Formats: sequence, structure tokens, C-alpha cells
Amino acid sequence: MAVKLYKKPELRNSVMLCGWPGIGNIGIIAIDTLRTLLKAEQFGWIEPWDFFDPRKVIIEGGLLKDLEFPINKFYFQRTVNQDLIFFVGQQQPTEGRARYAEGQKAYRIANLVLDVAEKFGCRRVYTSGAAVTQIHHALKPRVWAVPNRAKLIDEVKGYENTVLMSGIEGRGSQGIITGLNGLLLGVAKKRGIEAVCLMGEIPYYLQGVPWPYPKASKSVLEVLAKILGIELELSQLDELAERIDKSVEEFLETLYSAEGIPSQVKDEIEKLRYVRQTELGPITEEEQKKIMEHIDELFKGRDKDDERPV
Amino acid sequence: MTKDLFKFSGHPEFENPSLIVGWSEDVGKLGPKVIEYLNRKIKSKSFCEIEPGGIFPLSGVAIENNVAQFPVSKFYYSKKNNLVVFDGTESQFEKYRFLNAILDVAQHHCKVKELFTISGTVSPIAHTEPRKILTVFNQETLQKRLRGCGLEDMDWEGTPAISTYLLWAAGKRGIPGASLWPQIPFYLAAGKDFQAVKLILSFLDKRFDLDLDLKELDEKISEQNTKIARLREEDSQINRYIGTLESGLSLSEDEQMELMEQVTELLEESS
Repeated sequence: MAVKLYKKPELRNSVMLCGWPGIGNIGIIAIDTLRTLLKAEQFGWIEPWDFFDPRKVIIEGGLLKDLEFPINKFYFQRTVNQDLIFFVGQQQPTEGRARYAEGQKAYRIANLVLDVAEKFGCRRVYTSGAAVTQIHHALKPRVWAVPNRAKLIDEVKGYENTVLMSGIEGRGSQGIITGLNGLLLGVAKKRGIEAVCLMGEIPYYLQGVPWPYPKASKSVLEVLAKILGIELELSQLDELAERIDKSVEEFLETLYSAEGIPSQVKDEIEKLRYVRQTELGPITEEEQKKIMEHIDELFKGRDKDDERPV
Repeated sequence: MTKDLFKFSGHPEFENPSLIVGWSEDVGKLGPKVIEYLNRKIKSKSFCEIEPGGIFPLSGVAIENNVAQFPVSKFYYSKKNNLVVFDGTESQFEKYRFLNAILDVAQHHCKVKELFTISGTVSPIAHTEPRKILTVFNQETLQKRLRGCGLEDMDWEGTPAISTYLLWAAGKRGIPGASLWPQIPFYLAAGKDFQAVKLILSFLDKRFDLDLDLKELDEKISEQNTKIARLREEDSQINRYIGTLESGLSLSEDEQMELMEQVTELLEESS
């Protein structure tokens, strides 16, 4: 189990940005888009075999050519205001059947990532993920920001289109960040490293849908661009968001016409198009459960791999 | 090598043996049947076990055919034949740790010179057709050495099975190895495929000069073939399905299902 660095770039005033898959792939799309736009250079990786099972084998002419694992890479780029380190992971390390990172493996990988942050003197770590909430997909998602130190609250309050947990109705400054986003924030706190998690809002009715939600990634990127003092050209993300919006509309039509979904669910979702959740009558837990069950049903079997492995 | 992961019950002296690996869950019961037959015939003795804690979930026991099961990870050795045999249950969670535990014993304790893994691969062929042993090597030298031994090179891309993962991990340590994948007709996958068992044992017999007596298997193959032949006589549909496969043509999904159900039921009843 090791971090392998091919290069040891000299970095100054550095900041680390971390992204990995999660709900709507909001975090990884945001961080990886930034990495691509800034043409960051790969300089290391975390050996995957202690954390992940292989995804694919390539056998040619009777010879085992390669075994492919989910990859976790480090990149760097220098910008005017600061140097940046990116950590982009293709998968969160899980134990048992958990969907998102938890347990010893997740703790170990969080520490390996922060070892690199410390080695290059990073003054701040940003992680990014999804905030599941009652928002309509036609609206611009806000960004929920959670710092790991109280002294960062005033700074975070100054970010545009961003809310602290205390600004979200019914949350009372409380909440849970699951997976590696939360864990990294906690481990960074333990190690005395400043960190902020930026979570783009995603409608609750899309959390089980196997599509990306680039609109929220864009919101996160806009916040990051301001923080880092850089300008970003995000038209590709806009195009992707437009295509996803069309699919969402079709998907909702299917959902509304499904058996067992009460007609008022459509009204509640459609009301969200014009107002934020604070002004709404709540969708009951029972209704939410029905919607989620139906979403699972709609997408069941799509990723099924009937092939027997070799 | 983490000592508390292993329980040694003997300390035989090894002379750079070869390692044969089979898994307790396999199509056509290939792995368990090969390992059981091999261990019995070469009179190998168990000398080490991998402890299940930390590798298997141990949240209870699985029940199969009315009997509670428990993960097995045992090494056997036959001094006469200079063979180490590993009989294991596939770990679902800590695979890399588990495979490295196997390789730690094989490499550091037994000093094995090579390894062979055994797993069946489901094929759309008739049971009356000759089977092939599709093979994957982790290095070219061993592949060249085994040319002419009845092994067929495999080409494949997809999800890796535990045998392939072990082969890769062995290659990473410089241990040459091959994964042997005999074809199992799909309608024998849920039952026992004695023909495939014999095919693998014949290969091992020749490769290691084991002088195995395979008569028992010949009887079982003949018995199974007779039963299926009778079913073909009684059921024209089943006869047509198998005949189609024998002609090298394929069956629809429904036809495959029906053939599989009928043959599995027949062989289960009679066993």
C-alpha cells in the first residue's frame, strides 16, 4: 500500500482539490473538469490493489496482459495565485457492500491523500460532492459549504451562491457528509489541515438516477473559480447539462405515469420549479419512499453483467 | 507474512513443488471434484490453513443443500508427487489480502516453482463434443513450455475471476502460472461435469507423472451420458436442442433454459 510519485514538483502556496464518484458524480465532474481545463500534469498515484478489486482483465493469445483497477491519481498545476494539486479517484474504497467509503480502507486512503497534501505544504484542501435536497432540476443549484474549522465560517459566508448548514431550512446547522468527502474533512481536522467541502444541490428525485448532474458541478466550479481567482470556460458543461435536463424531463413523465405514484407528487415536484423548499408543503416520507422505489425499479438491471468472469 | 493469519498443522520439507489451486464453488463442481479426487489419489496431507477472520465476513453461515457451510482455505502436500494443493472458498471482500495470504504460504513457506488454477468456463457446447482447456498464462516462458500439452490459448476481455486475479498476483511476485479453464456445457454447469473433471485430471496426470487411476471417473461419465441419452430418446425436444448444439448451431434463451432445467433435474434426481 503506497503512494507512488513520479515527480516531486516544487509547489508554493498550494491548495489540494479532491474529487471522486458519488451522487450525480457532482464532485468528480467539478474537480476533473477543472483539472482538464487547467491542463494539470499527472505526478503520482495510489497503488489500488489494497483498496479495490480489479474491474477488467485483458487476455490476448493466452497471455494475461493487464488487470485494470480503479485508478486514483495526483496531478499538479501552477496558477497565478497558487499552485494546485488535484486528487481524482475513480472509486471510493468501501468495505462489505457499502456504496460509499467507510471503514478502515477509507480511513487509510484519506490519510494517504493528506500525506501528499502535507508533503507539498498544502494550506487548504477542498472536497466536493452532492447535497440532496428539495430543488427542481430547472433551478440553479446552490452550493452547501462545510468547513472543518469555525474560523473559516466568515470566509465561506462570502462565497457567492453558497449556504452554510445553518442557512438551510430545518437543518439547524447539523448534518452528515457521507463517504470520502466527509471522512477527508474529518481526518484533515484531526491532522490540523484546513478543509472545506463544497456540495452542489441535486433534486432528491434524481439521487438514485445513474446519470451525472453537471448543473451542480458547474455551481461548485463557479465557487471554486472565485476562491482560486481563475476564469473558467464552462460551455461544455452547459451543453452536457442541457442534454441531461432533457432526459430528466422524459424520466419525470415516466415517473408521473407510474402506478403507485400519487398524483400530488407531480404537483409537489412541479411546485419546486418556482419556489424553494421553504415555501412548500412537504412531500411525505411515504411519498418519497414510493418515488425512490420506483426509480430503483426503472433503472434495475441496466448495469447487470450477465457474463461469467474469467 | 502475518503469522496469526495462518495455522500450521505440519512442517513438511518442500522441494520446489508446483501448486494446484481449486475453488469450492465452481461450475460443474469442477474445482471441488478435481481437488477431492486429486488429494485422495495422491494421498496428500493438510499442513496449513488460512484463518477466516479478517478475510471472510463471518456474519453467520451460508446453508447449501440443507447443510451449514463454512469457508475453507486449506493447503495439502504430497511429498511423493511434490505437489501442493490449495482447496479454497472464494473470498468476497478482502480478495487481495486473501490471495496474498495464499501466495505468502506458496512462495515463502513452500517455495513453489509454479502454480495452476482450476476453474470451469460455461460454454454453449454439447456434452458429447470434445472439450477444450482454455488457458491463460502469466508469462510467455511457461506458455512455450506447455505447447503441445492440449491447452488452448484464450483471448478475452472482461471482469476478472478469482483465478485470474490470483494468476496476476503470482505474476507480480515472479511466480509463473497458468489458469486452466475447461469448457463446461451450460446445461451441466449447475450439476457435475465429470468429463471436464477427467480432462483436467488427465492433464495434471501427464504434467506431473501422477499415475492417477481415472476409472471411477470413466464410470461416472458413462453413467451420466447414458442418462442424458435416455432423456433424449424420451423427449424429442431435448434431443433437438442437443442435436442443434452438436451441429454447431446455437439455441434461443428459452431453449437454453429448458434444456438446462431438464438436464439439471434429471441428474439431481438420479444422484
